[in-house]
Amino acid sequence: MSPRARLVLFAAVTPVFAVLFFLAARGLPSFGSDFHPYGDRAVAVAIEQRATDNVVSSVNFDQRAVDTLGEEFILFGSVIGTLVLLRPSPEERQVGQRSAGRVLPTTRLAGYLLLPVSVLVGLYVIAHGQLSPGGGFQGGVVLATGWHLLYVAGRYLAMRRAAPPTVLEITESLGAAAFAAVGLAGLGLGGAFLANVLPTGSRGELLSGGTVPLLNAAVGVEVAAAVVLLLAAFLEQAVVLRRVDYQDQR
Amino acid sequence: MVVETLPPLMVALPLLTATVLAAAGRVLPRLVIDAVSLLTCLLVFAGSVALLVATGSRRVVSWLGGYSPEHGVSVGVVFVVDRVGAGLAALVAVLVTAALTYTWRYFEEVESYFHALILLFLVGMVGFVLTGDLFNAFVFFELMGAVAYALTGYKIEEAKPLQGALNFAVINSLGAYCALLGIGLVYGRTGELGFAQVQRALAGHHTDWLVLLAATLVFTGFLVKGAAVPFHFWLADAHAVAPSPVCVLFSGVMVELGIYGVARTASTAFSSALPAERFRPVLMVAGVLTAVIGAVMCQAQSHLKRLLAFSTVGHVGVFLVALGAFEPAAVGGLVVYVLGHAAVKGALFLCTGILLNTRGSVDEAQLHGRGRDLPLTRVCFLAGGLALAALPPFGTGLGETLSEEGLSHAGFSWPSALFVGVSALTGGAVLRAGMRVFVGMGIPPSIQGETSVQGEISVHGETRGVDENRETEGAVRSVPATMLAPVVALLAGGLALGLLPGLAASAQDAAQQLLDSAGYAAAALDGIRAVPPPTPGAETWSLSGLLFDMVSTLLALLIAVTAVYSDRLPRLLRGIVHAVRLPLGALRSTHSGHLGDYVAWLLVGVTLLAIGIAVS
Repeated sequence: MSPRARLVLFAAVTPVFAVLFFLAARGLPSFGSDFHPYGDRAVAVAIEQRATDNVVSSVNFDQRAVDTLGEEFILFGSVIGTLVLLRPSPEERQVGQRSAGRVLPTTRLAGYLLLPVSVLVGLYVIAHGQLSPGGGFQGGVVLATGWHLLYVAGRYLAMRRAAPPTVLEITESLGAAAFAAVGLAGLGLGGAFLANVLPTGSRGELLSGGTVPLLNAAVGVEVAAAVVLLLAAFLEQAVVLRRVDYQDQR
Repeated sequence: MVVETLPPLMVALPLLTATVLAAAGRVLPRLVIDAVSLLTCLLVFAGSVALLVATGSRRVVSWLGGYSPEHGVSVGVVFVVDRVGAGLAALVAVLVTAALTYTWRYFEEVESYFHALILLFLVGMVGFVLTGDLFNAFVFFELMGAVAYALTGYKIEEAKPLQGALNFAVINSLGAYCALLGIGLVYGRTGELGFAQVQRALAGHHTDWLVLLAATLVFTGFLVKGAAVPFHFWLADAHAVAPSPVCVLFSGVMVELGIYGVARTASTAFSSALPAERFRPVLMVAGVLTAVIGAVMCQAQSHLKRLLAFSTVGHVGVFLVALGAFEPAAVGGLVVYVLGHAAVKGALFLCTGILLNTRGSVDEAQLHGRGRDLPLTRVCFLAGGLALAALPPFGTGLGETLSEEGLSHAGFSWPSALFVGVSALTGGAVLRAGMRVFVGMGIPPSIQGETSVQGEISVHGETRGVDENRETEGAVRSVPATMLAPVVALLAGGLALGLLPGLAASAQDAAQQLLDSAGYAAAALDGIRAVPPPTPGAETWSLSGLLFDMVSTLLALLIAVTAVYSDRLPRLLRGIVHAVRLPLGALRSTHSGHLGDYVAWLLVGVTLLAIGIAVS
């Protein structure tokens, strides 16, 4: 199709679809209505049965934990897929490690100062998933940011030393496997896959919600390792690998 | 062991194996990696066989997390397994086993990542057929997709695989967004996500645009994966570049799972608001279009993988028509047809992989006569072509006649002609390629084309598979047994499917369960799990069916021979062949490989689907 033909086709059907979608969206309950059949039930279960103050976590890691298991493995699969696609091709060679380039001393200082802060915040967010907004996914990303502050501070090699790919792969796999293993423990002890078999504790305590904190920790480990691994693969492409022909030209 | 624990185990076990392979793959010897992956597949297969047995008398229902419903209400996710779900899980396990066996010597340099990805792909597909929840189905659907994109681009040494993977990923992601949007609309209206719960919640409402568009959007997601016209463009691009064993899984079962998704949601979640008759016209029209375009495009290919890919599109059209009847007999035939097609198409893709490995090409013209010294592969490829043309007693032939008869009992006799046509054209294309490549019949066609920017050689705007990179290091001297065994086993399986007594009856029972909306909801929510008793008198081979199959096989042979010896045709016939070229060129140019085109067509498709469901 020529660009014009494509545009005409697009312009012809888009308004029709927009009108249909508008008509459909008008059928949704109005904003602020008190029709929440699932919400009402989920809150009741989270608060009364499971002592999980953060109802969203209760839904994600307990009531519908199998969805999160799937999501976690989508991330796991995507990271492996990315590593496969970014693996050095036969035409690519490692070039000698170039110096980090010029990094402003203030940038470096900020990096070193923020590193412990972001690690602490990451751990906090993971550990409090059952109590307050946050949890394994969010905390894991914050944790991974900490590692990348090392890169920002100009220490690419230090970053690689702090987290070599092999260690990261094993960590990521362990995190992912732990989620499935907790699920199997539920099957063995509670009679249903991903059953919440641990004592729930009482609301507001750090250790409450049964398996919810455990699953959050598993996801936190997996996500942190996955994000570091992912960015490391891209950085390696950008910093370390060169196409052979490109190198020859230089 | 209680059979209810099997469905979650069939998801959890391969996940755990995949993590082990990803973590320890660097230190484990290749033999261990292969053995562990194969063992995992076989265990999943054993699980699905146990489920097949159990689903003879009841549906297997597992509430995850133990949130069993009280008074028909729950906060949890449920797996509901009936015979179709168990059968598809078994098919997935068999095809993954075949692909892994084939890979044993195929990618010599393969790392454990490939095995981990394949196992995650297995989980995506198995989870999708076992779950009874709209959002959970979406999650497994996405897992399937994310892994499939990476598998498509696996051969990073070339630019082509990345382009094919990109087209695949973008179009399928757009489809997935549509599905998610639809799920959001359903949830907004009902506050429910389970198939059974949605069905009951929608029963109390009038059917308005919200329900119509929700069904449309969810179907769009599935039909993109199912490669229905005009959502099918990604399929040939992805199949042309993906490793052959991965193509087996794509064509053999992933695409069919899209159709399963439509069947399942139409007969459960949306069944109370929109009776099946509302979907019949759109599915049948889409099916006819898909069948015709797939079969015609299949004839027009000389890139063997694209040829096989378009043949899959043609068969998907046939499947959609058969589903459109929403009658147990026709859908039962569809089930047999899907199984037979998976076996045959799998074997054909693996044969093409052998050609790629030993001859470094998948182009029909370049390979002319060069497959003569691959005796077993030759027999298998030609037998595969005949099986695709529905030669009895292959499972494809049985499936075709069963669905034809089911459709004509339901008052649709026209599909018979369509089915015969698709079998003849797609089988004919494969036979033509087989005669040229493996027998050396006809004059070798010349390959003169210009190399485009992407390194693709195109002849008259057609993508050719000339001088492809091998998927192994160096040429394979002799074809290893691990590559031939799955080919032979798949073909033998395809043959056995047509001869198994009781398969037709069992498939019809499966279809009955699939279409039984009330029974599904009762099993999930009320604990009433018994399935309807088997209907006696399910037919198997009939005389008229055999006749139709023979006609399509003979037509396929005729088409193949005519194409191979087209230079010897009388002038008049050649003129006709020449006249067909022009519209064919136009059709081919719509399959441009341009992502923007595909997106525009997707939007056209969604809009037409919505209007189609609304007016019927």
